[in-house]
Amino acid sequence: MKRIMIDASKCDGCKNCELACMDSHRKDGKEGVITLDFTNPETVARNGIYNDGNGGYLPHFCRHCSKPACAESCMSGALVKDPETGHVKYDENRCGSCFMCVMNCPYGIPKVDAARVKIIKCDFCNDRPEGPACVAACPKKAIWVEEV
Amino acid sequence: MAEIYVIVGAGAAGVAAAERIRMIKKDAMILMLSVDTYSHSRCMLHKFLGGERDENGISFTADDFFEKNEIYWGKGQTVKGLEPANHRIVLENGYQPYDKLLIATGAVFGIPPIPGFRTASNVYGFRDLQDAQKIDAAIKAKDAKQVFVVGSGLVGLDVTTALLERGIKVTVAEMADRIMPLQTDATAAAAYQELFEAHGADFRLGIGASDSVVSEQNEITAVVLSNGESVPCDFVVCAAGVRPNIAWLEGSGLAVERGITVDEYLKTSAPDVYAAGDVTGLSGIWPNAMDQGRIAAMNMCGMPLAYEDRYCLKNTSNFYGLTMLTIGDINKIEDGAQVITKEDRRCYKKAILKNGVLQAILIQGDISGTGHWQYLIKNQIDLTELLKKKDIFSLSYMDFYQLDETGEYQYA
Repeated sequence: MKRIMIDASKCDGCKNCELACMDSHRKDGKEGVITLDFTNPETVARNGIYNDGNGGYLPHFCRHCSKPACAESCMSGALVKDPETGHVKYDENRCGSCFMCVMNCPYGIPKVDAARVKIIKCDFCNDRPEGPACVAACPKKAIWVEEV
Repeated sequence: MAEIYVIVGAGAAGVAAAERIRMIKKDAMILMLSVDTYSHSRCMLHKFLGGERDENGISFTADDFFEKNEIYWGKGQTVKGLEPANHRIVLENGYQPYDKLLIATGAVFGIPPIPGFRTASNVYGFRDLQDAQKIDAAIKAKDAKQVFVVGSGLVGLDVTTALLERGIKVTVAEMADRIMPLQTDATAAAAYQELFEAHGADFRLGIGASDSVVSEQNEITAVVLSNGESVPCDFVVCAAGVRPNIAWLEGSGLAVERGITVDEYLKTSAPDVYAAGDVTGLSGIWPNAMDQGRIAAMNMCGMPLAYEDRYCLKNTSNFYGLTMLTIGDINKIEDGAQVITKEDRRCYKKAILKNGVLQAILIQGDISGTGHWQYLIKNQIDLTELLKKKDIFSLSYMDFYQLDETGEYQYA
């Protein structure tokens, strides 16, 4: 499967990956980070960059784990590890809003949406041919896609 | 000839096991037998009863799951018994032999020993789709206006939301002094209670039902509480606990205690017979049932794997948009334990810390990014050094961030 690999030492905390993620998942039909509406509660990044407290940064991206605790605890069948791509896909129409995935992912990846009815999680940009938007936006090559 | 894998039960454990067996054994014959005619998620019964989804909408498997995995599913089959010596189960009209058997028959709801409750014709549970269908039929048949619910745990509150959604007046009796007592403290319970009351629920806390008024039609028309109050109702729903569904195993010789006795490989006392999910009594929550199903399947397929991650004091709830996470026993405060709380307009947090090790946590409000709490409590991680630098509620996975060589996260 393809995974977004991380070299935290290369990350300079610019957060372009977060903006690219918001931009790639927006539903208002617009394009380009400059037009992102940060007052819209749906403008949420599926990834995150955090300060490590020592001048460095910690890139936080869904790993699409080999044993995904989110999907393994899903009671509605909304979260499924795709046997072909290996990516953990989310079907919000099936989701029962129980948030056991939030409780069970030890890495804190799935986020609860503002309306408390669905989760927000990396979809690998639906395996589009050009790769995930976050990777394309990283100027430091701190994240890249690799077959693992 | 292909090996025959028989699974009794189509719930979380049974379905997870069937899927795993198929992954490992491409040629095996997998037969699933269940009373259920829909492979439904019990955590979504309230969505069915409330009218938000139909029977298919509360399925937790892909539409083509059984076809794609070549799992033969005998729906509506009642399994009557087990003959371990003959390697076969007893059906209503015949036998089904097995090479490997998984018992995943779940649990059944209990009816408290209150006069009239076990004999009246209008007392329901809320465990299976069949229960929800019976309640639905009772609402329609009687044009029900008022219902009495026994118990305010997650199941009691689930059924309450569904009944309220249908415009029915609901009275909930709870023996404890607050609602959802296993997951809440007084503050968190009050927030939920306020929401339920705003939607029309009526609670009787610290009070039990002690008697009932039964009509000539053998229906309970009122429930009498221990304080003497009589609450009229069209029917009663019992949400006061479940017990493993093992009555059908009587005479099989299978070792049982409260549930079916299993070893660490989820193997029962009989050769080639395994058990997983609520029927074992090991835990009553969905993720653990799925885990047990998968692990039992591995063992059935000759790939020994022990069931180790047994932690089950964990829950999330979501009522009227107020979400909550509870890990551990939030009401158990041992000597020397420290209780830390934090509250603002949107969120209430409470942690029980002892000797630098977190014992329990409750977060009501935004529960995003809370997955690390289960890890820290389950593994009894010493947080003493970290807590010198930051307050407990600002801890996150980032404090334990580490990558392995395949790019997966792990705990440093």
